Amino acid sequence: MPNKNGSVYGLTILSPIIDDEKAVPSHDLQIRNYLAKLSTREDSPFALAPGTHLARLVVMDDVIYVGMPACEEHLKSKYLVFESNCDGDLDAYLHGLADKTPDRLDAIWKHCVGYPGAANRLAFIDYMKACQLDTTFYFAAVNDKSVPETLRALQTQMAVADFIATHQGSDMATLQHEFIQFVAHLKSLPLPKAGSMGPHRDIKTGGRNE
Amino acid sequence: MSKLNETDIQGFVLRGYNLPVARFLFLHFESPARARSLIARLLSHITTGQRWDGAKPQSTVNIAFTHRGLQHLELPDATLLSFPVEFQQGMKHRAEILGDEGVNSPEHWEDVWREGRVHAWLGINGLTPEALEARCSLVLSAIEETGGATVLASQNAAAEVINGKPTTKEHFGYTDGFGNPDYLGVERRSQPGQGKLLPNGTWAPLATGELLLGYADEAGELPVAPVPHLLASNGTFMVYRKLHQNLATFRDYLETHAATYAGGKEKLAAKFVGRWRDGTPVELSPDNPDPTIAQDPARSTNFTYAADAEGARCPMGAHVRRVHPRDAFGFNGQLINRRRITRRGLPYGRFAPEGEPASDAEERGVIFMALNASLSRQFEFVQQQWVQYGNDAHLGNEKDMLMGHHGGRGRFVVQGDETPTNPPFVCSNLPDFVELRGGDYFFLPSITALGMIAMGLVDPR
Repeated sequence: MPNKNGSVYGLTILSPIIDDEKAVPSHDLQIRNYLAKLSTREDSPFALAPGTHLARLVVMDDVIYVGMPACEEHLKSKYLVFESNCDGDLDAYLHGLADKTPDRLDAIWKHCVGYPGAANRLAFIDYMKACQLDTTFYFAAVNDKSVPETLRALQTQMAVADFIATHQGSDMATLQHEFIQFVAHLKSLPLPKAGSMGPHRDIKTGGRNE
Repeated sequence: MSKLNETDIQGFVLRGYNLPVARFLFLHFESPARARSLIARLLSHITTGQRWDGAKPQSTVNIAFTHRGLQHLELPDATLLSFPVEFQQGMKHRAEILGDEGVNSPEHWEDVWREGRVHAWLGINGLTPEALEARCSLVLSAIEETGGATVLASQNAAAEVINGKPTTKEHFGYTDGFGNPDYLGVERRSQPGQGKLLPNGTWAPLATGELLLGYADEAGELPVAPVPHLLASNGTFMVYRKLHQNLATFRDYLETHAATYAGGKEKLAAKFVGRWRDGTPVELSPDNPDPTIAQDPARSTNFTYAADAEGARCPMGAHVRRVHPRDAFGFNGQLINRRRITRRGLPYGRFAPEGEPASDAEERGVIFMALNASLSRQFEFVQQQWVQYGNDAHLGNEKDMLMGHHGGRGRFVVQGDETPTNPPFVCSNLPDFVELRGGDYFFLPSITALGMIAMGLVDPR
């Protein structure tokens, strides 16, 4: 079955970018400019909306033929490529994006042909699905765990590792007493926000090691 | 592939000389013509890879250049621009990629490395201090008489001598220098565990092109190399890093943590590295050092991690498991065959036997030199991904226990099992046991290429 592996969904959407010679700067440049400044932390649209493990937005200008003899061929349009690994059901995921971060979606997709806007919920979902490509082989961010499960697991792993490091060699009674307290405390902690747990990374444009 | 032309390859590339004393001179070239005449003079000194057949020389001389040095020798621009980018940039410029930050960042390096004026490395090794001095004075008079270069700095290094015999011990007390790879065509007493792992469990030499330019590598391609081919062929790239060792910090840390580790101090030290301090692999002898294994070439490097997937014997983050993961990533070890490096190193500074006081401030460490066909694919990858990061070893952001830059925050987990003397154990608040004092990337050319450089005959067309 395409697009799904266990509970994780591999989403690929190609939206044609408006080709309007009167637009200054052109629509593809406007998307690039907006994306380059988009947050990769807690205020990323994909952290604000539920269910994203990993997402990537790319402006695809054209295809470049690199064989021999050289031949020139072109796409009919420039495309915005949106790929994401997300939890579960596609409709729920798209609803979540439109609920939590409609302004950002509109700021990106308003440069695409036929985009109806996130406010028109049914039209929005129909549009995204119309642009979807089936995927059978995609980068898997996690091993069949939901985003909340993954965040909770990371939080637990870090806390338990710290607990072990600070309690190594304690006598059994102290250890048990403090472990019970620790578990209660851990359970009471709120789920960490998506995008909050990794080291801070700027968006890199590739070629860093060159 | 046929036998390599050993008379054309610098001996330093093909073999560890096993000569106990060394001096490394760092040259700044004067006028290009005089610098070329110096190289012409030195050519007769350069030790090649020819077999010694029992008559080991008293001393050896080898030479390598930074990209600035090659510029100064007036190699054509078309040649200079054809070198790999990381070599053109030099190691200082690569600090972010290598994780050389904090105490390891270039602003803390020794003057000679901060200033970026080093053009060439001259490596002189000797069987005795007298032989080393004699050869050094010959080399220095060649430098003086030609006026080809200024010696910016020199670095002494020497093996620890115990009972009159040079050893391969380093300052933390570990026996070093086990894991150099075998390469096709390089004549060497090879031993299982040093090349690449085959599906049937045996070991074979790596492709020559993982070490030498001009030959096919493990992907069946010629390594990225400068033009013309004749300049590159039989040459290689060298990393030089002066690594200071904080001996007092290491001993304190080991002592403090051993007090609460049920396996005892020596076992904890062995877990850090994956070898007992006498060199016995913990994978083969998890409970005690065993000199019969450490000294047996058929066994000392002959092991895999398939039966120890959880790290109960050799921890996932132990130094040897990180930098040479063997089969630990599956696929019969094929994911690591393009990430191997050949190490040539010697300690520097006074040895302080256990029990004798030692301070971090004393000048002491190891001169780490590594040879590889691609600095970025081999050395830089190992340093960035396997030393300064842990993801490939399923260790998240953890770094190499001894080599990593921890700044007091690092963590190292000894996985262990249910045996009372092999418990799981966490070492946290790791300090920096090792600090980088400087270094650079060098091109180590063939004898033919040295001649072309000396005569100004490098022609990229």
